[in-house]
Amino acid sequence: MNIETEMSQAFVVCISAIFTQNILLSYFLGLCPFIGVSREIKTAFGLGLAVIFVMTSTSLLNWLAYHYVLEPLGLHFFRFILFIIIIAAFVQFIEMVIDRYSPTLYQNLGVFLPLITVNCAILGASLFMVIRDYSFIVTIGYGLGSGIGWFLAIIAMAGIRQRLSNERIPQGLQGAGITLIIAGIMALAFIGFTGVLQ
Amino acid sequence: MIKEKKWFPVIYMFLVTALLSSIVIGFTQFTSNRVEANRKLAFEKAVLAVLPGLSDEKEKATGLQLHLRFAEKVNEPDDYSAGAYTLIGSGKIIAYALPISGRGFWAPIKGIIGIEADRKTITAIAFYQQNETPGLGAEITKPEFRDQFKGKVMRMGEKLLSLERPGTKLDKNSVHALTGATQTSTRLETIINDALKKWQQQLGDGLDRN
Amino acid sequence: MQSAKQKVIVEGLWHNNPVFRQVLGICSTLAVTNLVLNTVVMCVALIFTLSLSAASVSVLRKLTPRNIRMMVETLIIAFYVIIVDVLLKAYWPEMSSNLGPYVGLIITNCIVMGRCEAYGNSNPPSLAFLDGLFNALGYSFVLLIIATFREVLGMGTFLGFSVPYFSGPNWDKWIVMVMPPGAFFMLAVVTWIFRSVQSRKEQS
Repeated sequence: MNIETEMSQAFVVCISAIFTQNILLSYFLGLCPFIGVSREIKTAFGLGLAVIFVMTSTSLLNWLAYHYVLEPLGLHFFRFILFIIIIAAFVQFIEMVIDRYSPTLYQNLGVFLPLITVNCAILGASLFMVIRDYSFIVTIGYGLGSGIGWFLAIIAMAGIRQRLSNERIPQGLQGAGITLIIAGIMALAFIGFTGVLQ
Repeated sequence: MIKEKKWFPVIYMFLVTALLSSIVIGFTQFTSNRVEANRKLAFEKAVLAVLPGLSDEKEKATGLQLHLRFAEKVNEPDDYSAGAYTLIGSGKIIAYALPISGRGFWAPIKGIIGIEADRKTITAIAFYQQNETPGLGAEITKPEFRDQFKGKVMRMGEKLLSLERPGTKLDKNSVHALTGATQTSTRLETIINDALKKWQQQLGDGLDRN
Repeated sequence: MQSAKQKVIVEGLWHNNPVFRQVLGICSTLAVTNLVLNTVVMCVALIFTLSLSAASVSVLRKLTPRNIRMMVETLIIAFYVIIVDVLLKAYWPEMSSNLGPYVGLIITNCIVMGRCEAYGNSNPPSLAFLDGLFNALGYSFVLLIIATFREVLGMGTFLGFSVPYFSGPNWDKWIVMVMPPGAFFMLAVVTWIFRSVQSRKEQS
């Protein structure tokens, strides 16, 4: 495949990962931080950006690791372990870098980084990248698109929840309950996007 | 204290990884024959399911019986079948069993589609690998969905067979898609059409060669 | 005075239930609960993984250096999950293909990591094992309730067998129950009910 077709495929994959195959609303990945951290737009924004960055970078790193280390050695089933190690090490590394060079950025974003290591969406994106046999360029589109899709979902959720913060919600539903109902409605809404891209 | 030395974490990780990995590798090796046999059996079962008269949904054949039946009755693909397995009787091809595969919603979908000797009518469709959403996309393996394909005919032109929205009227070239599983249905339609078109093309080439 | 063991049991099953209290490990939940049979297998896999991982982390807790402990926990969890995955592929291939993506995702299931971190790291192996076991059981019973509603309302069956009224012509199947939004809604309802019961019990 030449560069042009790959780039157009990467573009399509990116758009579909944001809307029609949103990693959170269609594939259910990354729900725990989604429910836990979506109370305010400001924190959701920070976490979302961090997710975009980590998801794109780790997808690419894992692509390299899979195609240049695991495949030649025939150790395909190792990908679970290796991908997680790479993700954890990368997040640890980034945390150290941010802490060293920009304490203010660390204040705002750094606290989210440990949360990202256990975000199943990050691992999920890498696993899908392998299953679907994406090339390197397409993986860029996919990692970026998945991250943006997740970001979009959490921002929307935070916006809605902030609006609801003044409403009277039954005690049993406060917090997780109402968030899940909103998530269900959002999932229903996003189903409407299917068919936009063939 | 050993624990405080700088190199300890690295050695520790290495040891733990090595220990756990060797157990996993050992386990995988131990079961790999079974896993491989299961995989092969699933494939053969699917092929038998689409060739007429070779399997019955109600019968309770064992894996070994099915495997032997496959070995005995089914012919490997050759130049004249363009990649399809065949059932031959009285020196003539009775039916083809064409492997199809492609990307599903979660993971690759792999199956077999059966075509009659006229090379246009479908006998059946069966799947031997899919990881679609249980209750939604995974319903493609159920008889309610698969039975629709029996007797359908490939049309001339771009889309040989189509999966239409549930509730719409069907003709002899279409079946109903799965309710609530649009993504899987769309992808399955693509997989089936791509495979059939390629097969027809290769068949045409083969015939021309004679 | 409750013994430590009793405390662990009650916490895991009720007071600190992973699903409606801690709200952890939802990802796998939603995808798998539209069929009761798949949920059962998934829960068994989780019980196996969580209890053994927590116990293993606990056994190694005095040796593991602090700054790599999360990676070691992940390794241990991945180990048990791969074993489950391989066992399923070898001895129950149809179920393995049904659960495909989700068995692997148990590795990042927040409950497993969460309990290892919160309890396994600082308690002896036998208690950690019980904590993992009862958290997993608490998780399982809630998931089975959700799955029962989803399968009966959405498909008219239970464990694959037709249910009298719901599979007949008078019941219009609630397809939304089988799809992702149905999972979100069911989980919300279950959370609501259990939390209300809990707070009322605490008040009285």
